[in-house]
Amino acid sequence: MIGRYSGIAPKGDLMLLRKLGERLKGRSFLHVNSTRAGGGVAEILQRMIPILTDLGIEARWEVIGGDEQFFDVTKKFHNALQGKFEEISDDMLQHHFEVNRINAATLNLEADAVLIHDPQPVALIEFKKTGKWIWRCHIDVADPIKEVWDHLKKYCTKYDAAVFSASKFARAMPIDEFIIAPSIDPLSDKNRDLSEDEIRETIERLQIPLDRPIILQVSRFDRFKDSIGVIKAYRIAKKYNDCILILAGSAAADDPEGELVLKEVKELAADDSDIHVLLLPPFSDKDINALQRIATVVLQKSLKEGFGLTVSEAMWKGKPVIGGDTGGIPLQIIHGVNGFLVSSEEGAAFRIRQLLNNPEMSKKMGARAKEYIRTNFLMTRQIRDYLSVWYSIESKGQSAFEL
Amino acid sequence: METIIQPFDFKQCISILKSTGKRARQLRELRRGIEETSRQSLYHHTYQYFLKGHLLEYTNDFAHWAGENLGERVLAEHLSSVDPYEFSDIHDLRLKLLNVIDRYLANFPEPREVMPGGDFHFNETITMVFPMGITAHNLAEFLIGIRFADTGSLYYHFYDARSRQGGRDDFSHWFGEVLAKTELAEKIVAIDPFMHTMEGIREHIIEAVEETVRKDMGVLFL
Repeated sequence: MIGRYSGIAPKGDLMLLRKLGERLKGRSFLHVNSTRAGGGVAEILQRMIPILTDLGIEARWEVIGGDEQFFDVTKKFHNALQGKFEEISDDMLQHHFEVNRINAATLNLEADAVLIHDPQPVALIEFKKTGKWIWRCHIDVADPIKEVWDHLKKYCTKYDAAVFSASKFARAMPIDEFIIAPSIDPLSDKNRDLSEDEIRETIERLQIPLDRPIILQVSRFDRFKDSIGVIKAYRIAKKYNDCILILAGSAAADDPEGELVLKEVKELAADDSDIHVLLLPPFSDKDINALQRIATVVLQKSLKEGFGLTVSEAMWKGKPVIGGDTGGIPLQIIHGVNGFLVSSEEGAAFRIRQLLNNPEMSKKMGARAKEYIRTNFLMTRQIRDYLSVWYSIESKGQSAFEL
Repeated sequence: METIIQPFDFKQCISILKSTGKRARQLRELRRGIEETSRQSLYHHTYQYFLKGHLLEYTNDFAHWAGENLGERVLAEHLSSVDPYEFSDIHDLRLKLLNVIDRYLANFPEPREVMPGGDFHFNETITMVFPMGITAHNLAEFLIGIRFADTGSLYYHFYDARSRQGGRDDFSHWFGEVLAKTELAEKIVAIDPFMHTMEGIREHIIEAVEETVRKDMGVLFL
C-alpha cells in the first residue's frame, strides 16, 4: 500500500516511513477518538490505519461512545478551548469522567503506543495500563477559557507526551509537546484525480450550474467556520463579478449545534437562487472532490480553526484558497504566494474579485499551492511524524537519531 | 593497483518540532528567551532556518519575527546579518544575538508588543537522519543523485554539515578530499548559503559539477 504513494509523496518521507516501520514492526499502535464519521480526525484515521498496518505495525482504532449529555459537554469543551465562554458545572465534568470510565471498562486499551484524539476521550489516561500514551489535540487552543483548560490539563500532564497542530497551540506543561500538522491523503476519494464523467455525475446530481464562476466553501456548519461571513463576502463580490456560491458541508455525529447553524445559513440564503447550500451525507468524499475541482475560488473563512484540512484539500487540486488568518490556516497559505489570508468579509470579497479577474495569477498561485501541500501536508508526512514521536519518546532525552 | 574511492552516501534529515512552551510577545521577552532557551532550541531557530526552504528575506527565526511580527525592520536587518557558521560554539552565537538586541534596546528602550496571535514560540526539534539509498562513486553518479535528492538531503549535506565538520559542507569535502577536484570544491565553497533557496543551491551545484564533467570529458576526447 505504501508503494502507491511513490511518485506522489516526497521520496524522503517514504524512505523514513520504511525505516521506522522496520524498527516498530509487530508492535501495537492504538488510536482512540469519539466518532467514526464526520470531521477531519475520523477522515485521517480511516486512511491512516491501513497504511500503518502495511508498514507491519499492529494498528487499531477504537471509538468511545457516550450519551447526548456527554457530547453536549464535550462540545462545550471544544468551544471553551477555542475561547468561547461556556457554563460548565462540576456535574458535567464528573459526567465526562464517568463516560470515559465506562468506555475504559469495555475498550481494549492495551498497546505499545496509544494516541488519544481530542478532549472527548482524554480522561482515559486515568485507566492506562501499558505503553506510551500521547494526547493529540486537534483544536485551536491558543486562547482557551482558563478554567476549562486547567481542568483538562490535569489529564494532559499524565500523558507521556502531547501533540498539537501548531506551535501557538502548545501550552506550558511538564511533558514533551510535539508539533505535528494534520494532513490529507492524496489517494482518498476526496483527493484522488477524478475523471470528467465522475465530475459530471456530481454536477448533474447536485444541479450545479457551470455558466458562471463558482465560489466554494466546504466546512461543517459550525459558527467558527463563518458561513454567514462567506455569504456576506460573496454578496459584496457579486456587485462587481457575477458568480455563484456553494456552501457544502456535513453534520458530524458529535456536534449538536450544527443543525441550528445550518438553519440560520439557509434563512440568510433563501432569497438568492445563486447560493447553493448543500448538506452532504457522511462519506460524500467524491462529491466534495468534484466541487473543489470545478470551483474557481475556494474559501475557508474560519474565525477559529484547529487546522482547516479543507484548505489543504483545495490547494492539492491546484486552487488558490482565501483563508481566515487563524489557527492552522496560515501554516498552509503563504499570503500572496499560494493563496490569500483575510481577516474580514470585506477582505475576503476583495480577494475573490482579485482572483476572478486575474485567471493567470490564480493559475500560478494554484500550482504553487499544490506543490506546497505535496511537500508538507500529505498523510505520509503525518504518519512519519507520529512514528518518529513514538520512536523518540522511547529514548527520552535523545534529540537526534540515525536510522 | 586500483584505488578504492570512498563513495558519497546521500543522507537526509527530517526534523519534528517540539515546543518548549515558552513564548515572547515583545523584544525584552525575546531577549530573555534567547538567554534562557536550550542549545537545541537556539540551534533550531538559527541553523535549521534553512530547512524551511522557501524563505529568503531573513536568515534566522528571530530576525523573521522582528521583521514580520514586531515590524522592527532595522533590528531584523541586524539579526539577519549574524552568521551562525562564524561561531564554533553555540554559546558564542547566543552572546552575539543578545549583543545585537541589547544595542537595539539601548536606542529604543520601550519595545512594542506584537498583535494578538503573533507571539514568538521557542521550539526545539528531534532530528531523524537516514540514508536515501543513493551512493555515488563518481561525478556522473553524483549528478543523478543530487537531482533525485529531496531538499532535506540538500539541507543535511550543505547546511547541517557545517556544524558537524568545522564550517564545511559535505559536497565540497568529498569533491576536494576524496576526488581531488580542488577547483570544483572551491566553487561549491563559494556558494553563499544565505543567498539562495534550496532549489537554487541544487542548481548551482549541478552547474558546477556538469562543468567539471564536461572539462574532464574534453580532456579525455582530445
